[in-house]
Amino acid sequence: MIYICLPQSRDLLAAPNAKEYSFEIHFSEHHFTPQKLVVPSEQPLLLTVVNSSRERIEFESFKLNREKVVGPEETITLHLPPLHAGSYDFFDDFHQDVAEGVILAK
Amino acid sequence: MNHPLQPRMLGNVLALSALIALPCVAQVDPWEFEVYPYSTTPRGMAEFETDNSLVTSGHSVGGEGTAVGTLRSQGMWNNAYEFSYGLTDRIEGAIYLNMAAPDGGGLRWAGDNIRLRGRLFDQETLPVDIGWYAELEWHKTPQFDDAMRELEIRPILEKDVGPFSIMVNPKFEKVLAGVGHNQGLEFGYDAGIHYRWTRTLSPGLEFYGGAGLLDQLEPSGEQQHYVFPVVWGELPHGLEYNFGAGYGLTHGSDHVIVKFNLELERFVGALFKASSASGWFF
Repeated sequence: MIYICLPQSRDLLAAPNAKEYSFEIHFSEHHFTPQKLVVPSEQPLLLTVVNSSRERIEFESFKLNREKVVGPEETITLHLPPLHAGSYDFFDDFHQDVAEGVILAK
Repeated sequence: MNHPLQPRMLGNVLALSALIALPCVAQVDPWEFEVYPYSTTPRGMAEFETDNSLVTSGHSVGGEGTAVGTLRSQGMWNNAYEFSYGLTDRIEGAIYLNMAAPDGGGLRWAGDNIRLRGRLFDQETLPVDIGWYAELEWHKTPQFDDAMRELEIRPILEKDVGPFSIMVNPKFEKVLAGVGHNQGLEFGYDAGIHYRWTRTLSPGLEFYGGAGLLDQLEPSGEQQHYVFPVVWGELPHGLEYNFGAGYGLTHGSDHVIVKFNLELERFVGALFKASSASGWFF
């Protein structure tokens, strides 16, 4: 008899990442804070996006190939690979009038 | 007395017999020259897409190249409409309407598909991002296919390396009804390398192919393999495009196919709450 065991959480299957540096971006009053987030280059990152507003946003980064809907009062997390030194855009794809932000890896 | 049409009629009968005896393999889907990434339609978002391909240099008889039915591929415009919806943060559902206009003819119904697609875990959790795809297809026979109903399963693999996204979709198809239903799995692939240059214009290379039945691959010259240099990006109002020309690499392939895909995403309302960050399937 073959038993197939499904894991309850990603932690059971995922290889543990090297130490992830955690950072937060907040969205409230129709803008991101901070607008410029400085992170260490060549290190895996855990980015938390907190939407404190009553608006639904789509947190998106073209250069990082990330796109995720964040509802009002919701929080999401994104795992990012080690980034080469440089700048990486992020924006709210639902609201073109929200100023773009930048993640600066150095 | 020999009737002057007899040799031609005999030829037609032989060609038809060959079609019936040797089911065509359909792993290259001319209604969908699209490589699927790991990411799915975001939760609560609806995506309307039209995929188009025009065979500008193809085969002159049915059952060859991308034409699996009795109509020839030369001059065929394949025109698909797809509506997909993000059910959860990791699963989307979609329905398709496939139309086609044979060379010199009008658009007509060619088939329908329904499918579910998902991604496992969160991006960058595993060394390679993994997704899945399951589709049920109905075809208009015998004009556009020799199989009435098929099931298609694909694993989806993606790896981002700097500004490059490398995507691979091996395809496994099983005929459920119609010619070939008693045979095994057919094998094909969609794959692509996309470079993220600017949001409005980025280049890529895409590859599509079909090799035949897994347990009885076609001779290499009869298999279909295509390479498509493409450009992709975002137009005003959130309209996204992917345009390219594909070149057949074998005798069994059509010679040149032009593709043009357009898609538009809008938030229409979520049915489910946000997926758990510690989850891996839903």
